[in-house]
Amino acid sequence: MASVHESLYFNPMMTNGVVHANIFGIKDWVTPYKIAVLALLYEMSTTKPMALLDRRRLNKLILPLQQGPDLTLEQFLKIVEECCLRMVNAVKLRLFLMADGELQDMEHFFTILPNAFSDSEAFKTSVVGLFMRQMLLAYNKLSFSQVYKLYKSLQQYCRRGNQPELSALPAEDMELTSNEDPSADHIDKVELDTPSLHQSELRSDETRGPLSQKQAEYFLARQAYLLKNDENKAMSPAKLQDELNNILKFNPDFAEAHYLSYLNSMRVQDIYISTHSLLHYFDRLILSGAEGKSNGDEGYGRSLRYAVLNLATLHCRFGHYQQADLALQEAIRIAQEANDHVCLQHCLSWLYTLEQMKGSDSVVLTEDSVKIAAHFCLPYLASLGIQSLVQQGAKQGMPANKLLDALRGTDIMHWKQSLSELIEISLAQTTSIWRMYGKSTMARQQAQLLLNMNSLEPVNFSVQQNNTEAFAVALCHLAELHAEQGLYTVVTDIMKHLKQQFPPHTQHAKLWMLCDLKIQFEKAMNDGKYHLAEPHVTAISALNGTEGLYRKAQLLKALNQTTEASKILQQLQQQCEKSKNTEMIIRVMLASAELHWDSSGFATALPLLLQALALSRQHNLQSLTSETLLHLAFTQLMLGIPEQALVLVQDVLESVLAHGSLIDKGRALLLAARCQMALAGAAAQEHRMTAVELAVHTLDEAAVYFSQLDCKERMRDIHYLQARLHHTLGNISQRNKCAMLFRLLDQELPSSGMTVVNRL
Amino acid sequence: MAATRSSELGDLVQIKKQLITIIAQCKERGLVHSVKWASELAFSLDPLPLNEIPPPPELTEEDAQDLDALCLAKSYFDLKEYDRAAYFLRGCRSQKAYFLYMYSRYLSGEKKKDDETVDSLGPLEKGQVRNEALRELRVELSKKHSAGELDGFALYLYGVVLRKLDLLKEAVEIFVAATHALPLHWGSWLELCNLITNIEMLKSLSLPDCWVRDFFMAHMYTELQMIKEALQKYQSLMEAGFAKSTYIISQIAVAYHNIRDIDQALYLFNELREQDPFRIENMDTFSNLLYVRSMKPELSYLAHNLVEIDKYRVETCCVIGNYYSLRSQHEKAALYFQRALKLNPRCLGAWTLMGHEYMEMKNTSAAIQAYRHAIEVNKRDYRAWYGLGQTYEILKMPFYSLYYYRKAHQLRPNDSRMLVALGECYEKLSQQVEAKKCYWRAYSVGDVERMALLKLAKLHEQLNESDDAAQCYIIYIQDIFSCGEQLEHAEVSTALRYLGQYYFKNKLYDEASLCAQRCCDYNDAREEGKALLRQISAVREQGEPSSTDLSLPCVFNPLSNNTTPVRRVSPLDLSSVTP
Repeated sequence: MASVHESLYFNPMMTNGVVHANIFGIKDWVTPYKIAVLALLYEMSTTKPMALLDRRRLNKLILPLQQGPDLTLEQFLKIVEECCLRMVNAVKLRLFLMADGELQDMEHFFTILPNAFSDSEAFKTSVVGLFMRQMLLAYNKLSFSQVYKLYKSLQQYCRRGNQPELSALPAEDMELTSNEDPSADHIDKVELDTPSLHQSELRSDETRGPLSQKQAEYFLARQAYLLKNDENKAMSPAKLQDELNNILKFNPDFAEAHYLSYLNSMRVQDIYISTHSLLHYFDRLILSGAEGKSNGDEGYGRSLRYAVLNLATLHCRFGHYQQADLALQEAIRIAQEANDHVCLQHCLSWLYTLEQMKGSDSVVLTEDSVKIAAHFCLPYLASLGIQSLVQQGAKQGMPANKLLDALRGTDIMHWKQSLSELIEISLAQTTSIWRMYGKSTMARQQAQLLLNMNSLEPVNFSVQQNNTEAFAVALCHLAELHAEQGLYTVVTDIMKHLKQQFPPHTQHAKLWMLCDLKIQFEKAMNDGKYHLAEPHVTAISALNGTEGLYRKAQLLKALNQTTEASKILQQLQQQCEKSKNTEMIIRVMLASAELHWDSSGFATALPLLLQALALSRQHNLQSLTSETLLHLAFTQLMLGIPEQALVLVQDVLESVLAHGSLIDKGRALLLAARCQMALAGAAAQEHRMTAVELAVHTLDEAAVYFSQLDCKERMRDIHYLQARLHHTLGNISQRNKCAMLFRLLDQELPSSGMTVVNRL
Repeated sequence: MAATRSSELGDLVQIKKQLITIIAQCKERGLVHSVKWASELAFSLDPLPLNEIPPPPELTEEDAQDLDALCLAKSYFDLKEYDRAAYFLRGCRSQKAYFLYMYSRYLSGEKKKDDETVDSLGPLEKGQVRNEALRELRVELSKKHSAGELDGFALYLYGVVLRKLDLLKEAVEIFVAATHALPLHWGSWLELCNLITNIEMLKSLSLPDCWVRDFFMAHMYTELQMIKEALQKYQSLMEAGFAKSTYIISQIAVAYHNIRDIDQALYLFNELREQDPFRIENMDTFSNLLYVRSMKPELSYLAHNLVEIDKYRVETCCVIGNYYSLRSQHEKAALYFQRALKLNPRCLGAWTLMGHEYMEMKNTSAAIQAYRHAIEVNKRDYRAWYGLGQTYEILKMPFYSLYYYRKAHQLRPNDSRMLVALGECYEKLSQQVEAKKCYWRAYSVGDVERMALLKLAKLHEQLNESDDAAQCYIIYIQDIFSCGEQLEHAEVSTALRYLGQYYFKNKLYDEASLCAQRCCDYNDAREEGKALLRQISAVREQGEPSSTDLSLPCVFNPLSNNTTPVRRVSPLDLSSVTP
């Protein structure tokens, strides 16, 4: 192409990566702001008598001032002023003397600077000492014109700080120039609005210059740390991307920024940018690796392998299982060729994770992975594998003692190696396992343990890690446990916290969403507000298909659409048998048994229930076992053997009262009462009254639980039964009271087709 | 409209007069590149008789007043003492002096900016270095502009200032105004050309109706890869009387290069060198063509010749790099591309070429670096994306390279090479369905290397889809024979061998024997052909009848009614279909 226009020059600076950004290996350089910080340090070390409190406050200030981005003079002085008023004046005086004087004054400052530190508490190797020596070195490297330029910018810096009305100007960048008198002090003006126009698309609210490499590194480290540990405290995705673009614009070779950009776009689920950034980062990394050890196994080949592995994880995160599989195979192949066992091990652990995510059985793979990881002394991967095995074992009904033993064994190792992340996972896992076994107290205890534990990770930037999946899981369990006990205000609080900690766009948000929906569904069902439950079913199906189907069946059953419900239950059973989801299978069986009751097929329900009982016992699912036993007892009651039924109920009553939810407790007691009533009917005359009184007493207890839950339908049933019993006992006033309560509730509630007889 | 245009073009004497005037005007203002362009064009036209030469423009009162200052300033300007020139022009009132005054200030800012970059305070600050004069210039120029006091040249300068400040929309408006005010000034057109990104934008602009506009449109079409239209435009310009213009010849040659019509391009470049032997511009493109054709002696001659003319030019370095690359001295080639980049870091081609050299040297990491740089300079450089894909493929990471090939394919959706590469990757990943799609698509868009069909056929063969495989081989053979020229890697024998077996299996003995006979024409398939023939005769002797099922495709029948409904696109049409 012919030359573009008449300028004889090209501008080499706007091109990327031509002159390598870091020719001299200087990571930092002198700016007017740095001079201000130096002046502060100088004043601090020279003014000997200083109030201890002031000194402490100033000392605390030093590190953020050194590492943070350049501030304007105004901001800087304000921060210092908050700590020590006297110091601010000294610094101001020194700076303005320099700025209003001559170039010589600045040079003088740099010559006297080292003297101040020679006999003070600032050692050469301390943070302050290093900073100061770095600055001196950078200053001494400046050429003549650069020194002059630095002085000029120092003057502008001070002058701008002095005239706040001018520094407010750059806010309206475009129009600014056209209506100003061009004959005004133009250096000032040009400097003022320079940052605005050139980077108008990148500019955030405050005008900030480019970061030095040190500052950029600090910025990246901080943001990456926050992203990992507490995303809400990090910058918003859009703003962070702006900053990254800014950094990359000034220093395209700064590969780490690409990686952060990858992490950042993962936050907003942007596959396009995240893939792009990830590949870009590794392209860059390959370069830097190649410099050290050319083509060696360690440098360049290694980053290639991990590049593919990272790509695989990326696809995993976005649920592209086929893509992830292909990438993983590639990583495995090149890792094998290079004999890189550590990388292979990582691949293997991802392989079984992928298999698990796809829903297929991966126990063998996982076991292999654990063995090999142990062989190569990779504790993290090994215990991660064990945890994964435990999870699968729990689902497949492994003996509880083995599982908990395995977890304890790994826990010891975690504490030894300070693998805090795994400790958290382990605690969350224990919570889940206890919950599954139906031991709510133990589950609650473990969850609290996790939430109250002090992380082993060093607390940086005043942020403790609390946004991992483990925390989300534990909190969800807590919410559900509280919901079971009818403490809905607490649940709302927990949910609010979860929403805040894991905003809807984040990775683990689906956990609490599902949990929240389940709780609301249960509540609506208990209250008999089926129309409210219906939208929840759709929402649940979106998050978890199996769970959604189950809930749909429950809803249909409650609405007396038995045929549809049974169809769905059959379908669900097939599905679950395929995926070996035992908990759900048992639940489905129970629901089917309930359907049989509706059609008075109590005898046909029995085999189903017995099957469910065997399954739940085999898998140590205590809550489901008691639930099944209650169902059995009810069936027996209906079949006319109340003695047997009562024995069964009394057997499980203990564990239900200890671990069960409020509604379960109520239901168990109600059933017990009904058994007692049935027995009382059959008992001899002299025992009858005491038996009836016993039944009344049991009903009273049940009423307490139901009223806590505000479960009106059940209350109505109870009032009805109580009224009848009191009638038998001859307590007229009591009877009338109960009858009135019944009538009130009966008017309030829509008449349900279900009679009190037909349900548990 | 066309008629009036051609009559206007026909008046070559008038054009020549205009050119002479504008040359003088630009010269007075130091716009050297526009002078060059206009002079080249003027040179290609017949000389005027003495009485036709236009008189120098009348001087106004203001001009006369400023004459001495202008003279002095111009001399300083020519010596690149811009501040000094601006100082002596500050009080002048004439348009000419005003332009030179502003232009010196602009160039002074540019010069300082470039000096500044060398010793900026820190490495990260370098992106911040900018022409400090731009803002003041913009303020002053916009004032004058709203007062309507700017002439064509000043408008042009205003546009340049706006563009430098990244105010692209305003810049386009101003440049359009500049072309209206002074249509003969080529600089404004060129600037406009750089700001137009697509054909819709081009159509939406109202441009002055002047003969320069035809040159602009032709240039624009080339930039937008609408090569057919560009060639048409240039052809009509040549017919109108600019046949001798080296500018047009070079532009046409570049256009041919873009659509890979190598012979035409080579012919034109040779002609260009005859007419303008000391020309360096565009010679890197020429060397690319020579490289593709492996014309070693010619390339060597060109390289030596250019070194004699000026060895510190980007084009020269690229030519030498190509020369060494052709001689397989890749280290030296890389060195010269590096030198080219030192001379102009924005030279995109050099980055990519350097990447290719590193690839040849098996230095994959350096190659990746070079390609990444190329992409950073221009995200739309499909060769660099393709190169990255190739690099990773060499590193045996086909899945990883998929991303890069996909990028390249996105940028050149109708380029078969990317599609074939994609297909190969998919094949390596055992994704046969995708691979088949890629190969078929590659064939459909006009396969340059004629490999897609063969690969597709082999893939079908592997998957035991014998009908499809036979179909592909048939089209492949027809393709090879119809294009006439013999390709080195042509595997007609493979195809024939397979087809012979295929017909034999399907008991079409006539066709099978035909294929077998053709097989005997090739060394590597002769034995098999003979064996097949023997088998056929043996079967025939047994009296087994030939199958009469005609549904099977046949290589020697016309295939138009077959299941391959794809319209063949000539491989030369590639660029015209590229968006």
